Amino acid sequence: MSEMKQEKNRTTKNLIITVAAVFFFFSLFQLDVISETFLASFDGLLGITSTMFPPTLDEPIDIFGAAVESLQVAIMGTVFGILFSILLAAFAARNLAPHWSISYAVKTFAAFVRAVPALIWALLFIVAVGLGPTPRILALAVNSIGMLVKIYAESIEEIDESVLDAVKATGASKFQVIMQGVVPMLLSTFISWSVFRFDINIRYAAVLGVVGAGGIGWELVRASRMLAYDQMLAITLVIFGMILAVEMLTRFMKDRVIQVNAKASS
Amino acid sequence: MAETVLELRDVKKVFSDGTEALKGITSTVKKGELVSIIGSSGAGKSTLLRSINRLNDPTGGEILFQGKNILSFKRRDLRQYRRHMGMIFQGYNLVKRSSVIQNVLHGRLGYMNTLSGGFGHFSKEDSFYALEVLSRVGLKDQAFKRADELSGGQQQRVGIARAIAQNPDILLADEPIASLDPNSSWNVMNYLKQISKEDEITTIVNLHQVDFAREFADRIIGVKAGEIVFDGPPAHLTERKTQMIYTT
Amino acid sequence: MSRSVEGTLEQPLELPPRTENKDLLGLYKDWQRRKKMVRKNRAWILGIIFLAVVWSWYATEFTLLYLISGAGNIAAFIATDLFPPDLSSIPMFIGPALETLYMSYAGMVISVAISLILAFLIARNMKFHPIISFICRSIVTFLRAVPALVWGIILVSAIGLGPFAGMVAVALSGVGILGKAFSDIVEEIDMDQVGAVKATGANWFQVVGQSVWPQFKSGFVGWSLYKLDLNIREAAVLGMVGAGGIGIVLERSISLFQYQEAAMGILMIFALILLVEFTTAKIRERIL
Ligand SMILES: Nc1ncnc2c1ncn2[C@@H]1O[C@H](COP(=O)(O)OP(=O)(O)OP(=O)(O)O)[C@@H](O)[C@H]1O
Ligand SMILES: [Mg+2]
Repeated sequence: MSEMKQEKNRTTKNLIITVAAVFFFFSLFQLDVISETFLASFDGLLGITSTMFPPTLDEPIDIFGAAVESLQVAIMGTVFGILFSILLAAFAARNLAPHWSISYAVKTFAAFVRAVPALIWALLFIVAVGLGPTPRILALAVNSIGMLVKIYAESIEEIDESVLDAVKATGASKFQVIMQGVVPMLLSTFISWSVFRFDINIRYAAVLGVVGAGGIGWELVRASRMLAYDQMLAITLVIFGMILAVEMLTRFMKDRVIQVNAKASS
Repeated sequence: MAETVLELRDVKKVFSDGTEALKGITSTVKKGELVSIIGSSGAGKSTLLRSINRLNDPTGGEILFQGKNILSFKRRDLRQYRRHMGMIFQGYNLVKRSSVIQNVLHGRLGYMNTLSGGFGHFSKEDSFYALEVLSRVGLKDQAFKRADELSGGQQQRVGIARAIAQNPDILLADEPIASLDPNSSWNVMNYLKQISKEDEITTIVNLHQVDFAREFADRIIGVKAGEIVFDGPPAHLTERKTQMIYTT
Repeated sequence: MSRSVEGTLEQPLELPPRTENKDLLGLYKDWQRRKKMVRKNRAWILGIIFLAVVWSWYATEFTLLYLISGAGNIAAFIATDLFPPDLSSIPMFIGPALETLYMSYAGMVISVAISLILAFLIARNMKFHPIISFICRSIVTFLRAVPALVWGIILVSAIGLGPFAGMVAVALSGVGILGKAFSDIVEEIDMDQVGAVKATGANWFQVVGQSVWPQFKSGFVGWSLYKLDLNIREAAVLGMVGAGGIGIVLERSISLFQYQEAAMGILMIFALILLVEFTTAKIRERIL
């Protein structure tokens, strides 16, 4: 019996692996990779690589200004994303929603929002509210909501009610139960996901400008239209530096919190 | 004769799904008594205990405390009533991510105004009191650790400390030792007993283990299918009566 | 059963004596000191966040009004311009949608292959030459920090429009994510087990098959499939910078103000993402 099951498992596994391999070559074939254009493009790549060096910045202040603007957009998008996610998560969590249908509706809304890529949101918002940083902030906020509402709601649903019972049993008021019982249970999950989302948003903010003038993404597109490969490399390096610096900063703050908390409880 | 602190009159509980968990419980509990409630799984022990501090609302009968029917209490009165009742749980039910001392201080929440309690501004007196209670259960050195860093037995002692910090008249313990090994179990029961004697706190303990009940209780109540089928001192609980309680 | 109680009864336990207030004072002071430490740290971090937000708010000239008008406008835009999606444009999107799928998948396989090699070179417990490790690690860090869309822009201008650029872009960002993930997994491999298999006189393939692979497998499959999920999202928008797939058609519809057509494109992307996520979830279930 179990041997047969094992045999069956092995067959499905082999089948999956075979299909995976065949599909890979099929994809390559469909993408026209196995043809002379591929080799030609390879030559092109080599030629261009040499013109990339040394990387240059024509108007360095402008590039850095654009990078800073992208950072600001990321911060704003994250803040509003978090605020609205917390609000919506309260309605999305089954154990908090006024009615199960509301929870269902909010979750479906979040799933839809999540499945539409951030860049498309940016495009839609540009059409809806015009150019500038605003559409990018809103696009990031909406895209963050799609993800965070789900995560927040799930952690609210995982709240251990029996612990809340225990706090209630001391004669605590509702507000006290929330502040002393619910908040400590949720806080660390909320924070670590919010920080994670900020790390994602800084990446998006760097490229959202691609579809509508603004931020460092736009500078990259501009340089690429002029075929200024040395500038493109320089801008790419600035993007890299910005993302890395932000990541290091958030990691530093995270580590510090962990350290101090450990020291305070040892 | 000691005075009566709690009186149950025909207490009934029907859950919204139709389960009849309590079918009319009538009993009185005297000051300083350590009562143990025994009964098989699903007999209604937890429901009874949770009815006493209104974690669930009985659907019939009366519960009298200091001469008042507490089933009619709303908000403020209920809060004030609950702080007279310390509760201890099988799963400890500590706020795991908060520190031990913070968990003990939760016992003071019922005495504080909503805002300062919510934001955790505990007074110096409350803090001292919590620290003292904590050292009484032998956890002075663990005070600043996160609650989930402690062993099961230690966590249950924090649970006891939280209940004691309320300065309660009655301690309700719902299978406080069901998740502990025999040694820690004995330890925890001993703490409960001594505290109840030293501070004259009435204690009601749900227990699965009949021999622990015999060992520690002044009085045993046997519950079966939502009704009291035995009520008396441990000495009167014969082998046959025990079997009667536990067979369905 | 009753024995256990009697057994422990022999070691009677007294409640510790009530502590003197002097002792408690020390404890209390210690507690206040710890609380202060945590509070100070928290204040610092909240301060930094607050300043960053104020600075950004001021610089981007954002007003709360935008939130309301933005939500209103987008709702109106979706209701009047996007709806109803133009069903007759479905055939136009099918080909590019498939192209997106091919790009994502081929890109994923290529990045998996490259990441596998890099992972073993990077992992500290594999003890390759430290300079090689360092170089590989730096490459992976660089690739990870640069978004796929940036690679898309660079590659399109370097090798021309089309899905090939998209595939390479997806593969590059894939190496960034998988290279790190895989090397972390390799670093967690229990070398004692590997040693035990080696000691039996097994050859290299047997050692890998018997001890390394079983420990590596679930993380490997999980991360690869996760990357495929991500790729579909990335590839869908890579077209907007000319790197092939459904994004190209979508971008064209929008710039020609054919919003109902665009709505259909967005729905197609939506469907594609759900389809891939569903499939990867099933495969994950089966293989793990
Ligand atoms: N929230 C609830 N909704 C519906 N029925 C419930 C609920 N809580 C308990 N019950 C039912 O009430 C009856 C008594 O349950 P209770 O938890 O009081 O038993 P118990 O004696 O504490 O059992 P155990 O020893 O397993 O803890 C059981 O039949 C149980 O299924
Ligand atoms: Mg129970």
